[in-house]
Amino acid sequence: MSLMELNKVKKSYQQGKIEVPALRGIDLTVEEGEFTIVFGPSGCGKTTLLNMLGCLDTPTEGEICLNGRKISDLSKKDLAMTRRYNIGFIFQNYNLIPVLTAYENVEFALRLISHSSEKQIKEKVLKMLEEVGLKGLETRRPNELSGGEQQRVAIARALVKEPKIVLADEPTANLDSKTGIGVIKIMVKMNQELGATSIFSTHDPQIMKYAKRLINLKDGMISTDERRGRGV
Amino acid sequence: MFSIKLGFKNLTRQKKRNIITAMVIAFAFFSYLFMDSMMNGMEEMSFENIKNLETGDIQIAYPDYWEEKEELPLENLIYLDQDVEESLENIGGLSEISPELRFSANLNNGIDELPVMGLGIDPEHYEEVFTTGEYLVDDSMFSLGENKAVIGEKMAQLMNLKINDYITLLVRTKEDTFNTIDVEIAGLLHTPHPMVNAGTVFVPLDIAQQALNVGNSISLIAVKVKPGYEENITETLNQNFRRKDSNLRAYSWREAAETVIALSTAKKAGIGVILSVVLLIGIVGIINNVVLSALERTEEIGMMKALGMREMEIVSVFMVEATGIGIIGSLVGCLLGAVGVGWLVKYGFDISYAGDMTSYGIPILNRLYGVWNLSAFGFLFVLGIMVALLSSITPALWAARKDPVKAIYHR
Repeated sequence: MSLMELNKVKKSYQQGKIEVPALRGIDLTVEEGEFTIVFGPSGCGKTTLLNMLGCLDTPTEGEICLNGRKISDLSKKDLAMTRRYNIGFIFQNYNLIPVLTAYENVEFALRLISHSSEKQIKEKVLKMLEEVGLKGLETRRPNELSGGEQQRVAIARALVKEPKIVLADEPTANLDSKTGIGVIKIMVKMNQELGATSIFSTHDPQIMKYAKRLINLKDGMISTDERRGRGV
Repeated sequence: MFSIKLGFKNLTRQKKRNIITAMVIAFAFFSYLFMDSMMNGMEEMSFENIKNLETGDIQIAYPDYWEEKEELPLENLIYLDQDVEESLENIGGLSEISPELRFSANLNNGIDELPVMGLGIDPEHYEEVFTTGEYLVDDSMFSLGENKAVIGEKMAQLMNLKINDYITLLVRTKEDTFNTIDVEIAGLLHTPHPMVNAGTVFVPLDIAQQALNVGNSISLIAVKVKPGYEENITETLNQNFRRKDSNLRAYSWREAAETVIALSTAKKAGIGVILSVVLLIGIVGIINNVVLSALERTEEIGMMKALGMREMEIVSVFMVEATGIGIIGSLVGCLLGAVGVGWLVKYGFDISYAGDMTSYGIPILNRLYGVWNLSAFGFLFVLGIMVALLSSITPALWAARKDPVKAIYHR
């Protein structure tokens, strides 16, 4: 069943008097539970595509539908609500809040959507931190964690609210290859366990082998779209 | 709730900057509270001087005289008869009365002349109502019937006079003919009241009445009452006068000191200007703080938006943080203010080293004491928090309205 659909999506940015096209007409259907990796050279439009899929940005032309609902025309407030309940983000720079502990950073995302009891919230956050291998590090602040551990907190934060779709923009770019693969393995595991649709962008060929679907972007257009039976 | 928690936790970021902003607010508040206490102290001393050296607590006069009193007329005087005395008897809280005859005169020392106010008094009663006698710096007060006078030290310096010198007061009688009062200087005064020091010549009441040809008449009666009885007794006296069909009226010292009170109100407007500056400092500090925080946390704001936080939720994070700074600044400012005002109230500070402040119209001889104004503390504390809260809204909105993509990627 298709979760997201992009029809002839174009996006261009204004740089002074020049209009720079970032996406030149993308047609894409994302199925539920897919583990997709978007790759391509710098400037090919990976981040722009992820922003469109994550309801952070709206297309200049074309339409985007999430669960059959057109989201490309939504107001800022409605887009925020769509992100809050449906989308989890993982950033290259982790973007954790430095004054909050690992536990509180994850709790933060859950508090935005959950009206559960304190006990339920606590159980859920601790379970998620355990899932990503951070048991015992709950009270540490980001500056007391390694890069890999910080990214795992970010993964827990993205997944704790059980979003329909998880988007990660080059999540391993700031990590060494071993730690990066560790992070990807966690995400694969969470994809399998929680069934959350995951879409990554990356440059790293080591990571691509974990994808069930590989999309190659070139000059703002999909150059190849390869579905594999299963990732590694 | 989490926004509030995050806002307060954010106070621990950029500690130095937050502390500096809070301390700037605290110092501004301290300055205001100290200044306010000092001004109120000066006002209180000024009012005490008026009551103790010029008007007493209540003055009794005919309304026609009262309207013209600045001209020191010899019309519409009070004739001290039995009716008047009866009106003043058996009034609970009324301590003492002192009859006064005020007149204009030219003081002549044989060479120069100086326009002054002559004040005919009965020293025995006068000293029960006024504290002027406490400020005699040289020699003593006169008695009734003596051809003696007491003048201010300032006036004596100006006219090159000293104790036992003779002066002549050139006056106009009730019939508008010229007359003179020749008196010997019996004492010199140095009071906190500039007008008493430089513009008044005290003479015995009977001598003045004789020279002015007004018989047993006086300009007004100064009344001293027990503290807190001022309004009640003014009202009682006026009822007594009405009952006796007398045109006399009792005026509280406030009515006599309208000009000074008006000046005091103007001074308070000056304090309002200081308050505005204080608030402006707070506003600028808070806005600066929120803008810098927002610029430093651009990616974090982008992340919050990506997580689906609404603009108002992001605004509340910044507002709570700014309010926290406001609370700390206000609290420290009020605590510092309490210490400063406490010191000013208990010890005061010596301003005599700056010379005779009465020459500049400041009613203080030695130490200036402050007064507690607890409402100013409460007002400033609440105002500080409100200002912090409100001044953070615009920069917080600016931060929260950032485009999420631009914020995340710091474009």
